[in-house]
Parts: sequence; C-alpha cells; structure tokens
Amino acid sequence: MKLNLTHFEVSILFALVSSAVLGVVTKKTDHERLRYGLQCFAYFIVALFGIGWVMHFLHG
Amino acid sequence: MMAIATSGDTSVPAPVRSPWLIAIIAWLIPGGGHFLLSRRGRGAVIFGAVLVTFLIGILMRGPMFQPHGGDLLTTAIQWGGFFGDLASGLLYLLTVWLGYAQPDAAGHVHDYGSKLIVAAGLLNILGIVDAWEIVTGKKD
Repeated sequence: MKLNLTHFEVSILFALVSSAVLGVVTKKTDHERLRYGLQCFAYFIVALFGIGWVMHFLHG
Repeated sequence: MMAIATSGDTSVPAPVRSPWLIAIIAWLIPGGGHFLLSRRGRGAVIFGAVLVTFLIGILMRGPMFQPHGGDLLTTAIQWGGFFGDLASGLLYLLTVWLGYAQPDAAGHVHDYGSKLIVAAGLLNILGIVDAWEIVTGKKD
C-alpha cells in the first residue's frame, strides 16, 4: 500500500495536526484550546493559498 | 447539611515525578508524559497527531534522514532531519528495527513523506516540552 497525496492534501494534513497540537500545548482551558487550534488552522490555510498565489505570480 | 467526606485532599501528597523520566517517556511514547500526569485528553491528541503524521509519512514511502556529513548545508539538513526523525521515539526506533529502509528516490511523494516523518518528530518535541513544563510546575 502506498499513499500518493498531493501537495495540497499534505499541506492540509500538516495544518490540521499542527493546529491540534499547538492548541493543546499552548492554552489553558478546552475552550481556549479549541479556539486557538481553529485560529491556527485558518492561518495555515490563508498562508497556503497566499503563498501559492505569490508563487503563481512570481513564476508567471 | 450533609457532610461530604473528602479523602486525600491534604493528607496524601501528590506523587513527585522526575521531569527527566517524564521527558524520556514522552519522547518514547508520544503523549505518554501527559498520560502519566493525568492529562489524558491532551496526551491522546498528541499521540494521535504524531501517529497519524508518522504513519502517513511511512505510507508515502518517505526516506529517513541519515546522520552523515558533506558540505555545511548537507550536514545541517541531514543531521537536523535525523534528529527530527529520532524525536518520534519508539515509532522511529521500531520502524528502523523492523527494517524500513526506503532509499532516497526522486519524486515529490517520497519528499513529502520524508518531511511528514520529520514533522511527526517535531510535534512530539512540542509534547515533550509541554509535559516538562507541567511536571516542573511552569504550566498548569
């Protein structure tokens, strides 16, 4: 069995697991953890699309 | 008013645990330090995140980094990647022990897999540091 994930899929996976761990280790209450995790995930996604568009324009 | 018996509030002190022991267990078993410190929910999240990232990296046939040198940049990448791989603890040790030795082949899938394995180790480092801070009283 071999997985052939695309760059986008791997990026989403990385954003998901990183956000979960960052939320868990950073904040004190469950509510804060959930909120911070979702916030981090949103930042990852914004950065993913933002950098993608920057590379698109730089490469022409 | 009914009196509620509370056993162990003040008479039984909390067990003193060595921060180094917790750190070693947290390294070997992702989230294990949190489980020992009765933070089971947080331990489960760390364990799940590290396990999923590591396994998908392996399923994408990502090669492990080898600690060998060359020029400065190659040395930094190889040794940094090796420590990242090693940080997954037993997941890495068992995988190598069971004979996983994916050659460094060309292709983006292998490359992503390799980076996911390193990312799993880096996530585990976050968990180790968190467990350390809990056991040393720097964090609740």
